[in-house]
Amino acid sequence: MDIFLQQLANGLTIGSMFALVALGYTMVYGVMKLINFAHGDMVAASAFVGLTIYTQVMGQATSLLAVITIFLLSAVCMACVGVILERVAYRPLRKAPRLSAVVSALGASLVIQNGIMLIWGPRMRIFPELVPQVYWDLGGVVISLIQVIILTLSLVLMVSLYLFVEKTRMGAAIRASSIDQDAARLMGINVNSIIALIFIIGSSLGAVGGLFIGLYYRGITFNMGWQYGLYAFIAAILGGIGNIPGAMLGGMLLGLFNAFIAGYVSSTWADAFTFILLILILIVRPTGILGERVAEKV
Amino acid sequence: MREMQKYAYPIFLAVMAVLPHLLNSRWQAVAITFLIFTVVALSQDIILGKSGMFNMGQALFFGMGAYTTAILNHQLGWSIVATIPLAILIPAIFGVVLAGPIVHLRGDYLLVVTIGFNIVFVQVLQNNLGGVTGGPNGIFGLDSLSLFGINLASQVAVYYFAFLVLLATLWVMRNLEKSKPGRALHYLREDQLAAESIGINTRIYKIFAFGLGAGIAGLAGTVYATQYAAVSPEAFEFIQSVLFFSIVLVGGSSIPGILLGVFVMFVLPEIFREFATWRFFIFGFAMIAAMILRPRGIWPATFGKIPKFLIKGGSHGA
Amino acid sequence: MGRNELILKDVTKRFGGLTAVDALNLKVTEGQIYGIIGPNGAGKTTVFNCITGIYESEEGSVNWRGEEIRGMTPYQIVDRGIVRTFQTIRLFSQMSVAENIMSGRHIKSKQKLWNGIFHTPSSRRDELENWKKVEEQLDFFKLSEFAAVPTGSLPYGIQRRVEMARAMAVEPTLLILDEPAAGLNDKETLELLETIFKIRDRGVTVLLIEHDMDMVMEVTDYLTVINFGKQIAEGTPEEIQKNPAVIEAYLGSEDDDDE
Repeated sequence: MDIFLQQLANGLTIGSMFALVALGYTMVYGVMKLINFAHGDMVAASAFVGLTIYTQVMGQATSLLAVITIFLLSAVCMACVGVILERVAYRPLRKAPRLSAVVSALGASLVIQNGIMLIWGPRMRIFPELVPQVYWDLGGVVISLIQVIILTLSLVLMVSLYLFVEKTRMGAAIRASSIDQDAARLMGINVNSIIALIFIIGSSLGAVGGLFIGLYYRGITFNMGWQYGLYAFIAAILGGIGNIPGAMLGGMLLGLFNAFIAGYVSSTWADAFTFILLILILIVRPTGILGERVAEKV
Repeated sequence: MREMQKYAYPIFLAVMAVLPHLLNSRWQAVAITFLIFTVVALSQDIILGKSGMFNMGQALFFGMGAYTTAILNHQLGWSIVATIPLAILIPAIFGVVLAGPIVHLRGDYLLVVTIGFNIVFVQVLQNNLGGVTGGPNGIFGLDSLSLFGINLASQVAVYYFAFLVLLATLWVMRNLEKSKPGRALHYLREDQLAAESIGINTRIYKIFAFGLGAGIAGLAGTVYATQYAAVSPEAFEFIQSVLFFSIVLVGGSSIPGILLGVFVMFVLPEIFREFATWRFFIFGFAMIAAMILRPRGIWPATFGKIPKFLIKGGSHGA
Repeated sequence: MGRNELILKDVTKRFGGLTAVDALNLKVTEGQIYGIIGPNGAGKTTVFNCITGIYESEEGSVNWRGEEIRGMTPYQIVDRGIVRTFQTIRLFSQMSVAENIMSGRHIKSKQKLWNGIFHTPSSRRDELENWKKVEEQLDFFKLSEFAAVPTGSLPYGIQRRVEMARAMAVEPTLLILDEPAAGLNDKETLELLETIFKIRDRGVTVLLIEHDMDMVMEVTDYLTVINFGKQIAEGTPEEIQKNPAVIEAYLGSEDDDDE
């Protein structure tokens, strides 16, 4: 039972990080029908940017205000990178064959990943201890302050995003653009700015996710983007790609699944089991848990 | 163009045939790698380029062929040449079995599932399933190539082995182009519904493409295992699959395009070794630029390969 | 095997709450040129999709030569001699005209899967024979000069002809044409009429949907009129022209269809 509760807590923490990152994939996919392979590397970049802001800008301060500033500055930086990425690598390919944009995304991923390596070096860096190491022992289950913060903040961000997309005019414009870009354009929606907005939101959420990864795992490497990005992407697919609540659900489920595999089976098989689960789900339900079936117009 | 190709191929093959005698041993090794990866990229082209299926797990079949050779040679003492049939067949069977339940998936989902297969495969190798894969270190100390009792241990011999495999692959690709199954792949890539409506059982041909592509990649795996006399899991990570995927799309679904893609991806970095750390950074930009400038690849597939007797005068003939 | 007859009985196809085809009955007999007409959105193309296996109707039966073909896949239905064209032309646009027509030879070609890996004398012969058949279609549809041209770069009228040539290359028993005259000019429409008669003279039964009323009245032997997925009339062109229900439902709203 202790293992169960412990892995539940761990799973929810990892799951909320997956979910934050997955939102970036799913929102971009929803509107552009493109897997933004560079997203995972942007998440990794965010951790490094946060590290540099901490050491160079904030003078290694760990006050609450300093931590909030680090988060905000990193998010702004990554939002800018996201917008530039879209302008340079994706916008020129909107009308091109689907696979061309996929290759461009892979190229962008290589650029960002190796850009990190060229700036921060190929070796693992240690992310600063921004949050005090506080633990609570709840009858055998250990929960850290970091876990509580990650879980709470992720939930707040996800609920806000959900409300934004469902309740505001701009959110309606996002939903309209993801159903039919051309029709949205005819209705007077500026699809280009909607896409820019999506990259801003997705990249900043990813940036927060990247900082969480740094806080939680401490060790950050230039190529970790593929690993976390892939998991987040699977989360998005599990939930039904393009579907915002789906990404949140998928992230949480994947986090839990991973934690339980690590707890009960073996962590060396975690990747394999995750993918086997994914493959089985896609075979049974090819559009993910919350995804809708699309019929082809003949 | 056609005139140029008529001469370009014999010249290219002639150069490749004498190449090892012009190179020192380091460059011979590079040339062998070039040949092997060209074969894998061609096998990927059957699935991705010709049939339009988003396969990002080709390193799985490549690795399966290499491990088949390594295990049969190292554990059971088969000679390298004797392992070839199984190194083709086992990946091909896996290709068919794995493709069966997934070929109906939409593009991006197929991509993720094939990545998944690749990752599961590598994890199986690393965890030394059944105690035959050697775990994270792999298997080393394979026998060298020998045929009819003649030891062909030299690097030049391995080169010609690889060259022979490339020739066989090109021959199969040519036969495929001029056959009913080959055309069926093109039709289903262009418009699956139209292909079904003209009587093509697209599912069968998609699975066929996976089986054939996997078999050829497996054969390339044998050569790879022979070259290094060893196999290890990291050579077949899915990042390798990403490279094969990119080569076909950046180069274009054509033989010159693929040769160009493999050359740029694997040979140029050897020439500019001092820039090794910049390699992928620059490639990333090159991939973006190539797709923006030439969305169908640098040297896209050309169609219109129809018998001459159908082209009758007229200003529209090609 | 029964006669070459297509019989639809109570065919119903729904999309969510919408009933696109509602208990439709029709019977196409051998050698006919049979027309289905109706206003936009009446469910005509859906009927075709139900016959050719792209959709499976929820209820009813689709019987061809005494065999139930409802629930079969499109390629199984093609194998039984029913071939169609599309309202929105669906050619393999990067490929040449000859290769497009060659796709129609797919089910007649005797090559096996392994002939994709290596050829045998018989597979080479088969290859040549089928290209000869393509040549026949190129001649029949006057497409020889375009044989090597990618279809995507051809004018609309010629693309329509390529699509029919591709369907005819299958040597069908029943040819289904979905708005074959859409987008054609008067001269091309006249040529199309001639072609359809020639096809029928070769013993092929033709089932078509058409908006061009003049053309329908001229070319068809028998007509079914549907509206909102239901049959509202059937008969010879002369009978249909006099039918008050048809005049009200369809001819009365003809201005909708001139777009």
